[in-house]
Amino acid sequence: MAAVPQLQRQFIEYTTSLYNEGYLDDQFTQLQKLQDESNPDFVVEVVSLFFEDSEKLLNNLATALQQNIVDYKQVDSHVHQFKGSSSSIGAQRVTSVCVLFRNCCEEKNLDGCLRCLQQLKHEYINVRSKLEALFRLEQQILQAGGSIPMME
Amino acid sequence: MTEGIHGFSSPRSDVFPAGLRVLVVDDDPTWLKILEKMLKKCAYEVTTCGLAIEALDLLRERKGGFDIVISDVNMPDMDGFKLLEHVGLEMDLPVIMMSVDGETSRVMRGVQHGACDYLLKPIRMKELRNIWQHVYRKKIHEVRDTESLEGLEEILMMRNVSEHSDDGNYLLCGGDVTPGKKRKDAEHKYDEKDFADHSSAKKARVVWTVDLHQKFVKAVNLIGFEKVGPKKILDLMNVPWLTRENVASHLQKYRLYLTRLQKDDIKSTSSGLKLPEFSPRDAAGDRTESIKVQQNEAVNSYRTHSNPHVQNISSKVQEVDFKCSASLKPIKPKKILTGYAVDSHKASSSNIGISQSFGSTEYSSFNTTLPTQYSWNGGYTEIQFKQEPAPQFQVQNGFSNIGLSTQQVQSTAHGQALSKEKDKPAKFGSFSLQPPDPVTSSTWSMKNDQSLEPTSITNMELSAFLLQGEHRSSTNLDMQNKGAPEFNELEFIDEVPPDLYDALRFDGYPPDLLEYPPDLLEYPVIDQGLFIV
Repeated sequence: MAAVPQLQRQFIEYTTSLYNEGYLDDQFTQLQKLQDESNPDFVVEVVSLFFEDSEKLLNNLATALQQNIVDYKQVDSHVHQFKGSSSSIGAQRVTSVCVLFRNCCEEKNLDGCLRCLQQLKHEYINVRSKLEALFRLEQQILQAGGSIPMME
Repeated sequence: MTEGIHGFSSPRSDVFPAGLRVLVVDDDPTWLKILEKMLKKCAYEVTTCGLAIEALDLLRERKGGFDIVISDVNMPDMDGFKLLEHVGLEMDLPVIMMSVDGETSRVMRGVQHGACDYLLKPIRMKELRNIWQHVYRKKIHEVRDTESLEGLEEILMMRNVSEHSDDGNYLLCGGDVTPGKKRKDAEHKYDEKDFADHSSAKKARVVWTVDLHQKFVKAVNLIGFEKVGPKKILDLMNVPWLTRENVASHLQKYRLYLTRLQKDDIKSTSSGLKLPEFSPRDAAGDRTESIKVQQNEAVNSYRTHSNPHVQNISSKVQEVDFKCSASLKPIKPKKILTGYAVDSHKASSSNIGISQSFGSTEYSSFNTTLPTQYSWNGGYTEIQFKQEPAPQFQVQNGFSNIGLSTQQVQSTAHGQALSKEKDKPAKFGSFSLQPPDPVTSSTWSMKNDQSLEPTSITNMELSAFLLQGEHRSSTNLDMQNKGAPEFNELEFIDEVPPDLYDALRFDGYPPDLLEYPPDLLEYPVIDQGLFIV
């Protein structure tokens, strides 16, 4: 098991890259700030909720777009929701795709929508795996007796 | 998801804004969790809800159990705007809308439907920290509009609290007062003439100046209290700009006041508040004996200032040890608080209690002979300290509602008001002057050990004094009648930021005042200089 300082360095680097690459934004930092002793797993809990919710939404979207007659309002409503929840944890790239997706809905552009859905799935899976990696790293640090460095 | 029901909690005005009871409504579980956490960090009491219908049910179940609602615009079971409207109508709570969508049109809709704010997601902590302002603002407006005593009390308490907060009281002061409308109202308060136009305007508030009240009382007496009716009174009063409604509402308060006086009567013995006569300038002598004003000092200080320099009084009062639960916000020196000290010995219905202590049954005599009229039995002294802006009364009213022990309350309020310290956070002490015990009851519960000055000034004196203050800028002598027993509100406002008062203004009458606690009746319609014996 790597030494704590090393892990911590890794953690910092990883986090920084996530921000730099736009996977996460300031909102994520805000979440981390909300975490405290009374709620030491706050961020993980919130993110888990996000994952659950997102998967549901993605399914709904897939279903809605598969209809013979697509109800764009309905689709838009799902996307809007997704936009909201992704913004809650700072999943910036996901949020950006949602914006594009909404435009397609407005235009009732089925192809556009389908493409957006794909992109959305892709971005979601990305951010999910990155966050999971981050949490794993955190766990490692904690288990090694270290503390999680605060990111600014 | 509904957070654990906290049970029906009552507002924690004492540490406002901490403990603010917030209901968060959002169908997004992630946001719900985050918002809950954020609000808890603000020391608010949070309840969460995932559905609009659920939220409404909760609100209905726990009427008065929440201070503010924050809801997302997009709810699956009901349009957020509809929820907004429902809440506004049924519960009249401030509602903040949220959305990840910040389109102007949406925001506009929110405002149109009555949202007091519209937040864009992602929401920051600092935005949530300040949501209490909407609660406070609403309270203030309510008080102004409905002359709600409870509202006043709450406000006072909130302000009291804020005093202790880092943000300074004056968040309260400055922040919430909305310019514009309120100022306009305020400005009008002091000018009766203005009301001429008001009658047609929205609910113009009539400032029941001493003069006006005197006329009113005269009319009532002429007609005979039992037979009195707004129309008759109006006719007799011969005040062109006054409307029947104005009189009707004033009459109602007056009646209540009398009733209170009557009740008070029983408890108040002659707590020595006998004001045979008093003039603000009188030597303490008279007062001392007759008036057992605990808060002599306070009163005295008033006395000494026969002129509207309340400031002096303030300083004196400062020393007084008032324990008010609420703190009074210092008002500008010029303000005069009108306190009605009603000594309600027996407010006979016809005599409006005045005779009670003094045996002078003529209510109308109040108008001129103060001394006789004040039945100061510990009743209710409403001392109005008029302050320049004079809207302070509202605050006063608030006080009456608060059934603080008169003594304490009075003292505090009194002290506060008088205190000159500008930096003192405005404290509004609401206190009802009702004397818990006969002794105290008299006068103002300004139980200050400090000797303000000559002795005890009975409430009457104060009232008189206040009335005198007519010349003060605004005739905002609110003849606050607070029921003697419960209401003796003494509010001395010393330095109050003008805008604060604006917010609190009510037509110049503390809400309570208009209720005419029996004491009020005793409140002689003091003409300027009336008290000067």
